[in-house]
Amino acid sequence: MNETKSSFAMDTLVMTKRSLITILRNPLIFVPNLAISMFFLFVYEAGLSGIANLPAFEGANYLAFILPVSIVSAAIGGAGGAGQALVKDLDNGFFSRLLLTPTSRLAIVLGPIIAGMLQLVIQAGLIIAVGFLLGLEVAGGAMGVLVVLLLTLGWGLAFAGYSVGIALRAKNAQSAQAGTFIFFPLIFLSTTFVPYELIEAQWLKAAAAINPVTYLFEAMRTVLIDGFGEPWPIILGFLVIAGLCLITITFSAVSAKRAVSTD
Amino acid sequence: MGGKIYVEDVVKTFKGNVQAVKGVSLQVGDGEFFAFLGPNGAGKSTTVQLLTTLLKPTSGKLEVAGFDVKKEPEKVRLEIGVALQETGIDPDLKGIELLELQARLFGFSKKAARSRAEELLELVDLTDDAYRLSGKYSGGMRRRLDLAMTLVHQPKILFLDEPTTGLDPMNRKAIWKEIKRLNKEEGTTIFLTTQYLEEADQLADRISIINKGEIVATGTPEELKRTLGFDAILLEFDTDEKAVHAQQLAHQMRHSAELLKNEVTIYAENGTSILVDLIRTLDEHGLHPSKLNVQPPSLDDVFIQVTKEQKKEVETSE
Repeated sequence: MNETKSSFAMDTLVMTKRSLITILRNPLIFVPNLAISMFFLFVYEAGLSGIANLPAFEGANYLAFILPVSIVSAAIGGAGGAGQALVKDLDNGFFSRLLLTPTSRLAIVLGPIIAGMLQLVIQAGLIIAVGFLLGLEVAGGAMGVLVVLLLTLGWGLAFAGYSVGIALRAKNAQSAQAGTFIFFPLIFLSTTFVPYELIEAQWLKAAAAINPVTYLFEAMRTVLIDGFGEPWPIILGFLVIAGLCLITITFSAVSAKRAVSTD
Repeated sequence: MGGKIYVEDVVKTFKGNVQAVKGVSLQVGDGEFFAFLGPNGAGKSTTVQLLTTLLKPTSGKLEVAGFDVKKEPEKVRLEIGVALQETGIDPDLKGIELLELQARLFGFSKKAARSRAEELLELVDLTDDAYRLSGKYSGGMRRRLDLAMTLVHQPKILFLDEPTTGLDPMNRKAIWKEIKRLNKEEGTTIFLTTQYLEEADQLADRISIINKGEIVATGTPEELKRTLGFDAILLEFDTDEKAVHAQQLAHQMRHSAELLKNEVTIYAENGTSILVDLIRTLDEHGLHPSKLNVQPPSLDDVFIQVTKEQKKEVETSE
């Protein structure tokens, strides 16, 4: 037989390529996602930039402050789409066919997860580009932009992992969609619109403190507004996101094992 | 090149205490063509999913190609090709892309995957449609592509879950021809499920009939017909009254007989041996059939017989 030994890395690459092809062949799904993330940036900036005049902002650029919210919320479309892609595979029986190959279950779920992450990184790139057109200034410079994109990459993997895991448990589009509602508490029970010090409700303060997205916001805002002078929030942001990735991707790989063999 | 299948006392209970498979045991030999015959919801698909690592059994032993399905599912997957009842095709990919992807996942190099894909497209007669999206294929084409995808890694054992359901006669013949060839020429072991008696009769070396999660009969098509089947003696009369009379006489002789207008069908385990008695009795009563025909049992009769018996058992036990 002319077979070569299959490897995990190769399987993941093959699966990712396949997911990207199917995304590109459905522009009606990904184009609106790109548009919506830009829309968020415009409305936040237009509606809320006055807040930056408050003393707690210490003269910071509100655009730099709200940009991470725009990036993080873009995940619902791009990275969240990974779950929808999986529901489609379950519906048309293709997922069973994948499970019948010797490919590791992790590689099978990583395909749509990485494709979803890449979609989010592209969205983030566009958001940052539009930010520059609106007068964004980045204290961390080019390196700062890179760090923001790396954090976005981690968030994309984490959120896509979650949405794929939920899709595998739910097995239908409606429940998978319902599962993505976790996104709303994640993004709004945080330092979404004002810094931590300005949050008045104690319950919201508590929620923000345990919300991983808060640490993502902080890390991004640090490089955008203050640069690299104080590295701790940046390191913390990476650690939290790495932990989140580990949890959600494990969740999705385990769910893949159970997806068909439910009893 | 083939592999064995061994199943012992397998039970599968789903959530809500639905028992889909109730203690099934079966064996399929190297290179054998085995058919699993049963009506909808009999437990055929569940058994296939259990054998192909997609479902875990509640209890029992399953061995495929010499590997324990529960303990070494990865090894089993390398040896089997599976075409499920529902085709496993991503409509956003082209025929050739699906075959290449499948080959890559079975460890083929890029180049080898391409040539294997082209080979298989030729085999299932889809070369002209290789670069069209599979979502645009007809039902028959999709079935053929699905079969090609199961063959990518030259599996020792092929599981085919109702591969011809819903196909037109031409596509059905094409699928039959290909799986016959795989079995005869390449020695591939075949496990086929079907609702069609004709399909099992035409293709299989051995058949098990499953109904309500239990195997009710097993044997070669000939054995099944012989052991469970009844010859049918068809008598035609010139009037309906004579037919009714003939039926009464058959009942007196303790044979089961069915009436349809001026025709009577009498069932007997060995039709020719009672024929002389029967004709003499009819003659004594002045009944002379205008037509007489003795038919050996068809698998259809066997199937109806065993599923009916089981139904009775269930009814009396309740």
